[in-house]
Amino acid sequence: MASLKVGENREINTDLIQKAYSLAVKAHNKSSQKSYILEKTGGSSYVIFSFPGYWSENDWYDGEPFGETKINLDLFPSLRSIGIDEHAKVNKVFLQRFVDKISRNQDFRKEAKNEKKQIVFTGHSTGGSVSTLATIWFLEKYWRSDASATSPLCLTFGCPLTGNHIFSHALRREQWAPYFIHFVMRYDIVPRILLAPISSIKHEFQPILQFLNPKSTRASTNTPPEASNFYTNVMKNASSMASHAACSLMGNTNLLLETMTNFTTLSPYKPFGTFVFCTGNRKLVILSNPDAILQLLSYSFQLDNEAECLDVAQRSLQQHFSYGNELKDCFNKLDALLLESLEKLPLSADSTTASSDITTINAALKDLGLSIRARLCLCAAGELEKRKIGNKNSIDLKKADIAMKYLEDYKLSCGRQGLGCYDAFKIQKSTEDFEANVKRLELAGIWDEIIEMLKRYDLPDAFEGEKKWIDLGTKYRRLVEPLDIANFYRHLKNDVTGPYTEKGRPNRYKCTQRWLEHAQRMPAGSCGESCFWADVEELRIKNSSKEGFAPFKDKVLQLEEQAKKWINDKVLDKDVLMENSTFMVWWKKQPETHKLASCIKDIEGFKITSV
Amino acid sequence: MGTETSSFETSEMLATFLASTPLLSESWRLCNISNTSTPRGFLAEQIGDVGYIAFSGIQTVGNSEEPSCRNLVPLMESDGNALFIALHRLNEGEEPVMVHAGLLQLFLSMHSSTSFQNQMLALKEKSKSIVITGHSLGGTIATLCTLWLLSYFQSISSPLQVLCITFGSPMLGNESLSKAVLRERWGGNFCNVVSKHDIMPRMLFAPQASFTQLHFLLQYWHLSMNCPRFGMLAQLHDEDKAEIFRLVLCHLEVIAQAGEEVAKSLFWPLGSYLFCSEEGAICVDNAVSVIKMMHLLLMTGCPYSCVEDHLKYGDYVEKVSLQYLNQESFMQADIPESSYESGVAISLQSLGIYSQETVARPVKDCLKTARRMGLRPNLNAAKLAVSLAKINPYRAQIEWYKASCDESDDHMGYYDCFKLRDNSKKGAKVNMNRHKLASFWNNVIKMLDNNELPYDFNRRAKWVNTSQFYKLLVEPLDIAEYYRTGMHRDKGHYLKHGRERRYEIFDRWWRERKVSVDENNKRSKLASLTQDSCFWARVEEAREWLDNIRSESDPRKLAFLWENINAFEKYARKLVDNMEVSRDVLLKNSSYNLWVEEWSKLKSQLKKFSPQFPDYVNGEVVP
Repeated sequence: MASLKVGENREINTDLIQKAYSLAVKAHNKSSQKSYILEKTGGSSYVIFSFPGYWSENDWYDGEPFGETKINLDLFPSLRSIGIDEHAKVNKVFLQRFVDKISRNQDFRKEAKNEKKQIVFTGHSTGGSVSTLATIWFLEKYWRSDASATSPLCLTFGCPLTGNHIFSHALRREQWAPYFIHFVMRYDIVPRILLAPISSIKHEFQPILQFLNPKSTRASTNTPPEASNFYTNVMKNASSMASHAACSLMGNTNLLLETMTNFTTLSPYKPFGTFVFCTGNRKLVILSNPDAILQLLSYSFQLDNEAECLDVAQRSLQQHFSYGNELKDCFNKLDALLLESLEKLPLSADSTTASSDITTINAALKDLGLSIRARLCLCAAGELEKRKIGNKNSIDLKKADIAMKYLEDYKLSCGRQGLGCYDAFKIQKSTEDFEANVKRLELAGIWDEIIEMLKRYDLPDAFEGEKKWIDLGTKYRRLVEPLDIANFYRHLKNDVTGPYTEKGRPNRYKCTQRWLEHAQRMPAGSCGESCFWADVEELRIKNSSKEGFAPFKDKVLQLEEQAKKWINDKVLDKDVLMENSTFMVWWKKQPETHKLASCIKDIEGFKITSV
Repeated sequence: MGTETSSFETSEMLATFLASTPLLSESWRLCNISNTSTPRGFLAEQIGDVGYIAFSGIQTVGNSEEPSCRNLVPLMESDGNALFIALHRLNEGEEPVMVHAGLLQLFLSMHSSTSFQNQMLALKEKSKSIVITGHSLGGTIATLCTLWLLSYFQSISSPLQVLCITFGSPMLGNESLSKAVLRERWGGNFCNVVSKHDIMPRMLFAPQASFTQLHFLLQYWHLSMNCPRFGMLAQLHDEDKAEIFRLVLCHLEVIAQAGEEVAKSLFWPLGSYLFCSEEGAICVDNAVSVIKMMHLLLMTGCPYSCVEDHLKYGDYVEKVSLQYLNQESFMQADIPESSYESGVAISLQSLGIYSQETVARPVKDCLKTARRMGLRPNLNAAKLAVSLAKINPYRAQIEWYKASCDESDDHMGYYDCFKLRDNSKKGAKVNMNRHKLASFWNNVIKMLDNNELPYDFNRRAKWVNTSQFYKLLVEPLDIAEYYRTGMHRDKGHYLKHGRERRYEIFDRWWRERKVSVDENNKRSKLASLTQDSCFWARVEEAREWLDNIRSESDPRKLAFLWENINAFEKYARKLVDNMEVSRDVLLKNSSYNLWVEEWSKLKSQLKKFSPQFPDYVNGEVVP
């Protein structure tokens, strides 16, 4: 039984791949009746769900020039960047199709849920996009909560791009990207179509889809006359997208680049998962770096010379259906090249002195038609990945500085002197308080730098999923945010900007809070314990106005509930309860009747004060 | 982050990206139409969301009797209607912004025509972005037009985007102009397409060629642009071509070799340059590198090509616009192993000079310099963030100082404490910190002026907020020092004569920052820092007025002083009422409080002596 190596320790049975393809094609034929087919073969270790494709213009583009929309976070809560809270984008029609026909389909839900064997989702063409979404849905819904289950697998063939860079980022962060394997023929145009805005292919798209539709009764197997224009338009947009991406990858700093982006609309889509490129002469080239794949989609699509334009244009349509034969041939004599360490790729195709490894790589790259410029772009993608890892290593080294020992000691020493560190810091009487402030500023500097890197996606995608950083962030937030709040209200910044939580809260705390909430699957905003002091301050300000207690009763009750919960959970420090803390002083001023009935009156510390 | 630099040469990649968009070919198409159908004018067209304006390359500059070709005029003085107001700001020690006199006149007269105004209005209404373009002289007018639009859009905070694309156009102005453009972060809005040998964009590096030669040259070009066949009517003598070629090359060489240190050229490149050849194109933005490239590429030309190349932009544009389809075929066998060197090799090949060793080597150096200059901003920003963290404690110490002064028993507040400080260690330390902070921020401004920081630096919240906080906290100390050392007697008052430029820049950052709508929070307590950092400077001036009023006898001057004092009182009271002052302002012995006391004393005295006094204070009731 042969298997295809698609990554370190990852192999896929070639029979499974071929079977998946035949089912993916089969799904097209039955499609109008069923929105998916489920194949269970006795004796095998897997079951296969396959999804049909759709073939009208409206099945591709809706609304935006590239047909994208914000992802539905109810169904796909992980498809976003956590800290900065940017939502992924996905093709609107593909998403709609999945929601209407699959996720609301009771049969499908039941069958997917009860399956004990490995589930393989597959699809050809747009069916591949639906199978992608089905896989992510399954991962979110079932697999995440059941770590012992077998991971699903998604195999697509000639599948269009489906999501944007955050889509890709999120899958890599969740460590799900390896479950997606996309097969792409060198010239198949379908995976490239969404690199072009609908406006640029408006005239040709309908007849081309007509030709691609396996259900349409074609008069002949001849490609339509629009093929050439269609090819050049898609190629042009792919090139635009790739050269723009390459400028960024390679660190171009010309301001013109920025201006230009306002004058052109570039496709938002970005590859994810592992791509297996079929060179067309029984070789396979495999890679998983999304930036590199994007470059490859463009460069391998170029012409060797102008004369072959018509020929390539025709092939770009025909190859969409030749996965079966091509894969069969490839698997007969498995000649697959796993492209890793892209930054070390040989640039010159003709070095004679090269080792045999390099000769193999060169041969494969040549079969994909990769020029030296293309190779440079792949290198740049590799370098970027390396640089991100370097960035992470360098902030890992700063962990010692972030250790916050000084502030922990400060907190203890405040406690010994009978005033919580929040209040001590707010009063800023002693040199210790001053030193603590300097330390706070230092830490803020380090964290702000990390957040900046996150914003620019300059850290490895996996970063926001790393437990040690989530823990460190939480510790930092709980220890230092109260000091920031103290500083904020000490300087009355609420008068300038408005309440801390709404207007003054630094991103470093918002981000780290979201990390924890995402890691623990808690609803957004539920880990706000580090903002407790800000809530107290705001309520204190409102409460001291003429209107008295009554209008704020609900708020007070809510605050007390939260305080109780957080104190019990040990996420809020006991210094809140010290006799002269801002909180206690405020609480004591509340009406007696309220205090006697308060939910926190029995907590240690309150007993002393309640009469 | 950190010090690692990217190991790629990208000037060719950027050119590829440019060429893959429709902008170049559409612009050229319109330039071409404008050359043939609207000589001495322009045309406008809407393509999708993008509005285009193309200025014809056929323009008559100035009085044909007068060889005013290289005349520069200060932009500020010729710009009566303040069309270029954003470029009016002068930097100390810098030459004023100068532009080509004849072309400015040409643009101003076009600008004032109703046809221009109407078409512009129509474009602005329909477009999301505007491309302004022109061939030859038309491109230079396009540059002026773009500067005007950018200036105008900035003043009304319009989101419309503007891009200027010129083809073989002469330079517009001096180095101060291109610096001012960089300072406004407009460097990325200009793309000048220059073919390998075209002499026109290089012409102004040389002093006036023989007027007749130039006249014939322009005539030949104009006729050819208008209709290629007409060119035959005005062929230039070979000797004349050779003469012009030699002259320009020779002057360009002197300037190119002088480098950055001694800018000997009157004219200076502005924005990015897209150099194109039969083989491809590259895009460079560093001005010194641009000049060198202009020189090196011209060296590979000849008297014939330097004239003809000016008419070949159509071919070049078509060539680069179709590049995307094909894999580039690298002719040479010896591809360098390093990724950087390979990128350079591709660039050289795109310029068609890969095998011309004498030119290739200096071009390599040029690209290297340009890349190094380009990488600096981000590296600098990262370094600045680190040094900011290091100087933050100095600021914290000043905060500490303020708090302790504000609470001390002499009830003076930190402004007066600092102004009247003795030789104590505390005061000296604060003064030292003040200097350290000032030099840090001056350095930031200097880097920004030299375009050594990222273009959006002044829009990053971190820097806007930090600079604002710095300004509110420390500027009062600067004012205190100014009046403490009696500078106001030598130089005049702080507000007009002593305020450091950095504070004005920070004011602008703060004004231009993104603010949400609901920022009208009523303060419940005094601000922690007085919100007008110049408050104390105004107090000092008011003090002087008050002193003067006692000795002044000229009724007109007296009235003027009253007016000023009233205005100040009103201003200060509003600030206090809105709680926008910090507590130190209202302390018993603060300069402000003393002033208020003295002022009311004076008022009551005056009231006793002169019954008509209330007239002076605008009917305000005096106790």
